[in-house]
Amino acid sequence: MSGNPLYILLCSGEHEKLQIAAMMASVGAVSERPVEVFVSMNAIFAFAKGSPTESRYRGGAFSQLLKDKHAPDAIALFRQGKQLGELKMWACSMALDVQGWETDRLEDGLFDGTLGLTRFLSDAEGGQLVTL
Amino acid sequence: MPAANFPGPLMELIAALKLVQPGDEVEVWSTDQGSAKDIPERVSKVRHELVGVSQDTNHWSIVAREAK
Repeated sequence: MSGNPLYILLCSGEHEKLQIAAMMASVGAVSERPVEVFVSMNAIFAFAKGSPTESRYRGGAFSQLLKDKHAPDAIALFRQGKQLGELKMWACSMALDVQGWETDRLEDGLFDGTLGLTRFLSDAEGGQLVTL
Repeated sequence: MPAANFPGPLMELIAALKLVQPGDEVEVWSTDQGSAKDIPERVSKVRHELVGVSQDTNHWSIVAREAK
């Protein structure tokens, strides 16, 4: 039986928020809960293909702790969530347009496509929406 | 070697449970106390069976059985 769908609107590029989004998405997915993640604004930069860890994950004091303690990599957690559960990820079409990126600039195998905010919010009416 | 901080051990446990037969048990180790508390909750949520949680000198051991 599937649980109440979880919709994560991820806008922040801060490492700490990326990490908690990845944790929520992956744990939700392996708990047999459908999860959809919409990535926009500064968060899109963290998903640039091939970024070194240091430039991908920028944040405050807790970001450094996450790195020092070798916490699971956020991108890897999203991948695991997709492999093990019902996790869909969408790149914000506006964010890509403004940045001048196509989806081939994003990490391979993570995104199910591009989506507009209006459609995502409409879909999210059927579940729990969390904004980070 | 124990898995990384939460949710690393949970993800590894769920991945391993997908590869085994019903009735088989999987053990995961974690140095993270959060995993020892959180994994049993998650395991029961997805209808696997929790066999037990124990604490060794430097890690927790969580054992689950594939029940599907």
